[in-house]
Amino acid sequence: MADFGVGVPDEIARLSLGQGSAPQDTLPPNIRSEGVVAVDITAKFSDAVKTLEPGAIVKDGFFTLFDSVSALEIMDPKMDSGCSTTDAEVEHLYDVSRPLLPEEVLGIIDQLLCHEMSWHLGYPLSQTLFTSFYIEALSMPDPRSIQEATFIRNGGHDPDEQPMLQVLRAYCLSMLKSCGYVNERIKSEHYYEEEDFVTNTYNRTLMANLPTSAIRDVLIEAMAALKSQRGSVPDNLVDALVLRLELRHIFLDAVECPKHMKEPDLAKKPWREGLAILPALNKSHSLASPVDEAFSAKLQRKLASTMPPRPIVQLEFDVAFGHLKGLFEDGLELIDVLHYRDSQCLLTFVSTFQAKKPQPIVYVRTLLQTFLFDAMEVLGSMSIRQLLDDDFAILTMPAHQYLDRLNDEVEAVQDPRYAMAQQMELFRTRAAQPFLDILRTTCQNRCRVRRTLCHLLRDWESLQVDAEEIDQILQVKVKEQPTMHWPSMSSGGVESYSLPLSSWTYLYKLRQMEQIIQLGFELEVYQSDELAGMYWYLNYISKSRLHHTERIKSFVIKRVEETHGQPGNSDPTIAAQLQRSLMYTRLSLLDAAVTWELSDSLSCLYTVLNRLKLIKAPPRPYGTDELRYEIRMRPFAPVGLPVLPTFEEFTAGTLQPDTGIDELFEYAERAVEGAKRGFEALSKMTAEESFSVGSHQRWASATKNGLKSCIATKIAISAVQKAMEKSKDLDNLKIKVEIPTPQKAYHESWIVPKILPLA
Amino acid sequence: MDKDEAHEYLSSLLNQILRIYTTDGRMFRGTFKCTDPDRNIVLGNSHEYRQPSEEERSAAAANASGSSTTLDMTSRYLGLIVVPGHHIVKMEAEQFLSQMKT
Repeated sequence: MADFGVGVPDEIARLSLGQGSAPQDTLPPNIRSEGVVAVDITAKFSDAVKTLEPGAIVKDGFFTLFDSVSALEIMDPKMDSGCSTTDAEVEHLYDVSRPLLPEEVLGIIDQLLCHEMSWHLGYPLSQTLFTSFYIEALSMPDPRSIQEATFIRNGGHDPDEQPMLQVLRAYCLSMLKSCGYVNERIKSEHYYEEEDFVTNTYNRTLMANLPTSAIRDVLIEAMAALKSQRGSVPDNLVDALVLRLELRHIFLDAVECPKHMKEPDLAKKPWREGLAILPALNKSHSLASPVDEAFSAKLQRKLASTMPPRPIVQLEFDVAFGHLKGLFEDGLELIDVLHYRDSQCLLTFVSTFQAKKPQPIVYVRTLLQTFLFDAMEVLGSMSIRQLLDDDFAILTMPAHQYLDRLNDEVEAVQDPRYAMAQQMELFRTRAAQPFLDILRTTCQNRCRVRRTLCHLLRDWESLQVDAEEIDQILQVKVKEQPTMHWPSMSSGGVESYSLPLSSWTYLYKLRQMEQIIQLGFELEVYQSDELAGMYWYLNYISKSRLHHTERIKSFVIKRVEETHGQPGNSDPTIAAQLQRSLMYTRLSLLDAAVTWELSDSLSCLYTVLNRLKLIKAPPRPYGTDELRYEIRMRPFAPVGLPVLPTFEEFTAGTLQPDTGIDELFEYAERAVEGAKRGFEALSKMTAEESFSVGSHQRWASATKNGLKSCIATKIAISAVQKAMEKSKDLDNLKIKVEIPTPQKAYHESWIVPKILPLA
Repeated sequence: MDKDEAHEYLSSLLNQILRIYTTDGRMFRGTFKCTDPDRNIVLGNSHEYRQPSEEERSAAAANASGSSTTLDMTSRYLGLIVVPGHHIVKMEAEQFLSQMKT
């Protein structure tokens, strides 16, 4: 995939230190070899270096300063994990063959679970699972068969000798195997090393050579062995241990769920089963007694890594369990994406799923990417053309002749349908990447979403140029009749063509611009005194979207009228497509309108608060308003349309110097009232009407939060008004303003100030 | 050894495989990349080798039938390393038996 800006940070990530895993084929060289002699050069070498001038070096021509910085310093305790000071040898810190009590096994298992979740949250294996002596004993040397994968090798120990060790072994093996699956999945999709996840396995295979079926067998044997212990081991402990082994069994199924992409119900099964047993697992944690000495950061010295030793990550069980539960819940919810309805429902699903707070963990996000894009097929069964055509049909081209599949069959070059097929194919190849990138981008972490959208915007900008060109070629070929507009003030009529492809492109571009601004609020990019300006700009963009959607709507209605005008045209699919497009324009109009009005209202409110000096700008000794304007507008600068407001326009819009406070409040109230009505209308929409089939609950709650933001805005406005009535002194209103963090606000992208009385 | 001769000797060792023994008993084997007047040495593509511990030795001796036993040193890959001069106790250069001068 040639996706702009996405690959670059990966390159950089690869440069980072500590990623240097051993080349796959370098087994440690045998140091005893018949043909090679080691000659002692200590004395000669020492003499030779003594003659070097201070500061002089002898070096290989290809050895650079950059290399020398990344070299690991031996015997430096902070860098050299192998540097043994006074500690005894690591191997003898803990005996993995020692007998364990059932509650100790439970304790170790729960500790491992915490480590596994820390790994999911982004800590390296070296600080989590690989600090366990049991894991180390199983993984090194890499077992070639399931029989070899025991804690004690070659010692004549029967792995079944101690049932408790057998349970622990089964748990560890299945855990490592599922971690291997997780690691491979994440590595095969887009993610950000260091930000999201560390895939380094320090040359350990995570049981990649052992078949999953063999590990399942070990699990089943261990469960049977456990059950035979009833009587000698208290029942509640047996139950707790069986539960954990079951969880591993289910987890192995869950990580293999992508192979059931065509049968969503089957894919859902393990996630559902896992959720069912989790509460009991949490409850039985109280029986566990942790064995801290079974973990040691000193094991890091055995890992193939130039990473300096780092402490073990300690995650509380409750926190780890919360994440585990979240993982299963999100996994289950995610499978619903496979029920495809139309492209817009898919977009709504993906964006609302990723906007969840807390955001699904990286494994779930990469799983979603797999479902979306695996093997160049969307959701495992659809071609990208189907997806794109569906989307064109919803937004701007319902039942349109351009999208007729029969056009492909036309071979006569002079036939306009031939040109349609050719040009549409050309456009699809150009649009596929930017369109799929929207989906792919949404699956990244929130900061990356915003950053990548800024890059993506340029792709859409150039796509629009292509779209306009193709639109013009086609409108000539098909001899499209323009619609005449009669603007009231001008004398002549204005011709206007439907331009379906550039309309489609422009709508997406505008939506992305809004999203970039809104993510800025969510990610706390802007200072509180900048909110007035940024909401003003959001208002400016959403106004453009509103006008644009109205234009699209007029052409959709034209198509509806044309179709109704044709007698004998009663194809139900055409009527359904037209209906769907009308529904979509309604949603799009409302959505643009509420964004426009609420941002207008908030912008006015913040302008007043700035003017009353209730929001104070932080000291900025080196910044100016103009420089800040430049940096905020940088993502939007390459965009030709809508035109970037100049600094003067931006300042005038933000300060509104000619408008009095009373007037500003009047605007704000009127706008928020309109936004509130819009949100109310939106929240009454069904899943079909709002294009959120499969994710309606999430969409509806976001809408409801928008509505709450409107109400909060109204309250804030009236609170300031009241304070101004009470105290005629505008410099001493006896109120203060509190700007909530996005997490505390009703909606992340609507930061509504709280007005509090001064005590 | 005069200056030029010394420089020539050190340069001739570049990219050869060296074994460096440190004060804590470990051995590092890698390609020689760089050195300076303090005998700090940079090795590329290096592996660390560690002597078997006391207990492993006695265990092996107990299992062995003869009077002497052989144990492998445990090793791991490290990549690019720098060994400070004052930690070096011994240095060896690897040479092919077949190519050695008498």
